[in-house]
Parts: sequence; structure tokens; C-alpha cells
Amino acid sequence: MTPFWLTAYVLMWPVIVAGVLAFIARAFFKEWLDAHRRGEPMI
Amino acid sequence: MRLRAGRAGGSQDVEETGAQARVDDVQLQQLGGPLTVGLLVLFFGLTMLISLRISRRKENADAYMTAGNGIGLGVSAASMTATWIWAASMYASATSGYVYGISGPIHYGLWGALMILFIYPYGRRIRAVAPRAHTLAEVMYARHGRSSQLMLAGSNVLGSVISLTSNFIAGGALISMLSPFSFSQGIVVIAGGVLLYTLWSGFRASVLTDFIQVCAMLGAVVVVIPAIFFAMGGPAVFVEGASNLTPQQTSFFSSDAFLNQGAPYIAAVLAYAIGNQTIAQRLFAVREDLIKPTFITATIGYGATIIGIGMLGVVALYAGINPMEGDLNNLIPQLAGTYFGPVLLSVFFIMIIGSLASTADSDLSALSSIMMADIYGRAGKRKADPRLMLTIGRATMVIATGAALYFAGARMNILDLLVLVGAIWGALVFPVIASFYWEKVTNKAFTVSVLAALAIFFPVRFGWIPMDGAVGYVFDVVAVVGVGVVAGLMTFGFFGARPARIVGVVAALGVAPFGIGFLHDYAVLSGSLIAYAVSTVVCTAMSLSNRTGFDFSRIAGMTGDFDVEAVEPAAASTAAPARSGSQIPQTR
Repeated sequence: MTPFWLTAYVLMWPVIVAGVLAFIARAFFKEWLDAHRRGEPMI
Repeated sequence: MRLRAGRAGGSQDVEETGAQARVDDVQLQQLGGPLTVGLLVLFFGLTMLISLRISRRKENADAYMTAGNGIGLGVSAASMTATWIWAASMYASATSGYVYGISGPIHYGLWGALMILFIYPYGRRIRAVAPRAHTLAEVMYARHGRSSQLMLAGSNVLGSVISLTSNFIAGGALISMLSPFSFSQGIVVIAGGVLLYTLWSGFRASVLTDFIQVCAMLGAVVVVIPAIFFAMGGPAVFVEGASNLTPQQTSFFSSDAFLNQGAPYIAAVLAYAIGNQTIAQRLFAVREDLIKPTFITATIGYGATIIGIGMLGVVALYAGINPMEGDLNNLIPQLAGTYFGPVLLSVFFIMIIGSLASTADSDLSALSSIMMADIYGRAGKRKADPRLMLTIGRATMVIATGAALYFAGARMNILDLLVLVGAIWGALVFPVIASFYWEKVTNKAFTVSVLAALAIFFPVRFGWIPMDGAVGYVFDVVAVVGVGVVAGLMTFGFFGARPARIVGVVAALGVAPFGIGFLHDYAVLSGSLIAYAVSTVVCTAMSLSNRTGFDFSRIAGMTGDFDVEAVEPAAASTAAPARSGSQIPQTR
């Protein structure tokens, strides 16, 4: 494997992690806002 | 500060100047004392604040164990991801990358991630059968009886105490390596911090703080991986260090990596995912329609995080770095200490603290739930007192923390103990899964099959039986059956019994020509596969002779809420069946 593809292989994982983090954070804050609007505890 | 550690006899020659440590001829950047304290106060202070905000003067016993069975996707996905990622898995993935080369992290992280995915169909079935249960062992009590329940509960107590110990050790080692504080001071601070924010609100605090911890952890991973990679030379390291790798280490299809890392890990993590109460607890807590997206998100989040950290081991291999004191567990902290300044080192420090705290609080919640629901709540005919349950849960957390501190201080060999728990759970996987689908499985079949599997596992795993000649071949045949069982179980949840049988048979037949005469050389893999095979064959054979069937609809009524009086009226009216009638299983 060339250095280019090895570099891509190493650096693709933090990109995926960033995507997952954004997804989780979005879902969390949406639930938090919903709970806030309803005046109920989130958990 | 400068520290010089000698190799021989454990003696340490310590020299301190500024904020650097020199250990085993490796110059390490360290966090200063005030910065370390500040980071710990920031981390545990924030989690404590969250815990205080959700605390109630009068906690509900069921919410203390499952947070009301209705948590949303953001919290549940964060919690499942944070719980499955622990400090040891980060270190182990990097080790796998360093030892087995470019395919190493895949053979650690990918299989661990996929197992979360493979168990989600089982999770949906378990939740459908027991919508308001608290522990898997509690469901086994309703399905079978006390012996099955105690086997599962006992293995979980052992597993969670070991996991707790392992996380304290990881925290102590990190603090002693990257700060001026000692290992003992480190484990006490970590244990105290985790206990403080988990003690009052239990599982509710555990899952909500998991969100903050997963943000800190994943956020740090996004920064730490590229930062270390480019600090080590970036793409040039793959050119300059290519000669440091063997042909196996440069191959994506390394048989060494698969046989020594991937294959034993597939068998082990399937058992961990099914048997572990920390996962089951989140399964019972999440809103039922969100089980699938929760598990898929956790699969991707865990996989990318752990494989990504494992890549640092691969880069270290290319760069020709030798782990400090020859200990591969030092590799990741060593890279951070070598290449990072105080800011990035602080980010790295929070990443590891987040990973171990999130798993440690889950272990405490799991232990307390087992003691509350299985040891006290479902024992005998008398009605459980929710107030006393809460006291038991909190006392369990304190005692478990004390025990884990003791074991961590004694530096017990955690890996050996984990192998033991993995084997127990491996022996439990088929009987547990079959108990949720097959009405013929009996308490006797469950118990005998697990004990038989363990009785054969130990001699194989620890080499008490000479594997020369025909004996080795016989055990290889059994292990090949185990391959079929694992493949079949992974298929069954998604596609049902018939495809599972076909896949199981094809997998066993496919592996047989290569595995027979060979598998017994790999004791860890062979032992795990044999545990699967024996428990499956014995459980199936004994259950086939059972002429009566179990009515699964009974389970929901036997695993309801304990603390119904304390539930809000609206919630109580919508709650699924509360504990009713006799708590004694009616069918064995």
C-alpha cells in the first residue's frame, strides 16, 4: 500500500468519530430541548 | 520534573527537573501537579454537577436501575458507546496494531464493534419478552429459576469487579506516568471521583454523565490521532519505516493477526456483549423503538474510536518506537508524553479519564442493580422494600469500589481474570439466547450445560490435558463445532433458525480441514470455542427431551417494577405490568 493510502487509512477514523459525535450531540440536544419545552426532566 | 526508572529489580532512580519525566531512557512530557488537579477537578466536578442536577431527595428504586425504561437516542447512544469503550480497549487496540501491523486494529476494533450490532436483534427480543426488567439475570429467574439467575448474576459480579479494577489500574498508571502523583494516589482519586457522582442517582447519573464523557472522549480522539500521526512525521514515516515491518505486518490479510487476535476476540466479545449487565442495563433503559439506532450508532462510534487509536500502534511500529519498560500498555501514554505539549497532553489525559470513568460508573450501576434486583429483590416470596433496595444498591457501590481499590493496589493479573469471566460468559451465551426463543429449554438444561462447558474449558485453556495425538484431534473437532455455533448465533438474530443452522454447518465444515489438528495449539481460542460447543450440545440435547413448553408471556409479569408507589400517577398508569403475584417461576 502506498503512503497516500496508508495515511488515508490512519486518518479516516477520526473523521468517522467526528461524524458520530455530531450525530449523538444533535440527538441529545434535540431531546433536551423537547424535554425543556414539555417541562419534564430529560431522564 | 525528571524521573529515571531502572529496569532491574523494580528500583527507581528518579530525577526531577521542570515538567518532564525520563523513564527507561524515554523523555516524557508531564502535566504539572496543579494542572493535573485542575483537570481532575474539572472532569469530576462537571460530572458531579450533572449528577446533582438530576438527583432527587427521594430516588425511585427502578429509576436507580433503569432510568424509567424510556431514555432517548442521544443519551442511550452516548451511553452505549461510552460504556463499550474502556481504557483497556484503547491500549489493547494500539498493542494489536503494534504487534500485528496494519490489520491489527481491525482485528481488535472491528469485531468488538460488530458484536454490538450482532446482539441488537437479541436485545429487541429480550426487551419484548421483559419490557420492564432490570437485569438479564432477573429475566433468567423468571424464565428458569434461581440457579440460572445466580450463574448469570455471579458471573456479572465477578466481571464488573474485574472491569472496575482494570479501570482503576488504568487510571492510576496514567496518573503516575503523566503527572507527579503516584499510582496509589491516582487510583484513589479515580475511584473517589466515580463513586461520588454515581452513588446517589445510580444508573440515571451513569447514563447522563456518559454524554459528557463521550463528548470529551470522542472529541479528544478526533484531535489526538492526527496530532500524534503528524508529530511522528506524517506520511513520511510509512516510507522511512517500511523496513521495520514483517510481510505479515504489512498485509491486510495477516493470518497471524486473525488467528492470534481476531478469532479469539470474536468468540470472546460475543460472550461479553450477551452476558454483560452493563449492556443489558442500557438495553432495558432505552425506549424500545430506539434499540436499533442506539446499537448501530454505538457500533460505528466504538469501531472508529478503537480502530483509530489502534492506528497509533501501527504508526509507532513504522517509526520503530520501543514501548517503555517493554510494556505494550505504556505505548499510548508514551506517545502522548513524547510528542505532546501541555495542551494536547491535557486533551489526551481527559480522553483516557473519560473512557475509564464511563465504564467504571457503568460497572458500579450494574453491580448495584444485580444486588438490588437479583440478590435481594427476586429472592423468596416476600415483597421487596424499595427503600431498602436503594440502600443495598448504594452500599454495593461503596463495597465494590473498596474491593476494586484493594485489587488494583495489589496489581492483580487482570488479564487472567478476564479470561475466566469471558469463558463463563462464553458458556452462557447459547443457553441464555435459547432461553428467550425456545420454549423447551429447562433450568436443568441451562445449569448442567453451563457447568459442563466450564468443566471442559478450564483444562483446555490452562493446558492441564496433554493435547498430543488423538486427544488434541478430539478437542479440535469440538472446537470446530464451536465455530459453527458462533457463526450460527451471529446469523440467528437477524435471519432466524434455518439460515443460522445452514451458516453454522457451512462454517464448521469450512473450518474443519484447516482447524482439525491445529486449533489446539491456540489455547485461548480453542478453550472459548469448546465452551460454546459443549454448552450448546448439552443444552440442546437435554431440552429436546422436555415435553412441556414455557409460556414467554409470563416473564413480563414477573419482572415488573419494584417501586410502583413512588412512580408519578400518570407514569404508573402507562407502566407495563408491575411485579404481580408470586415471584417464583412456575415452570422449570
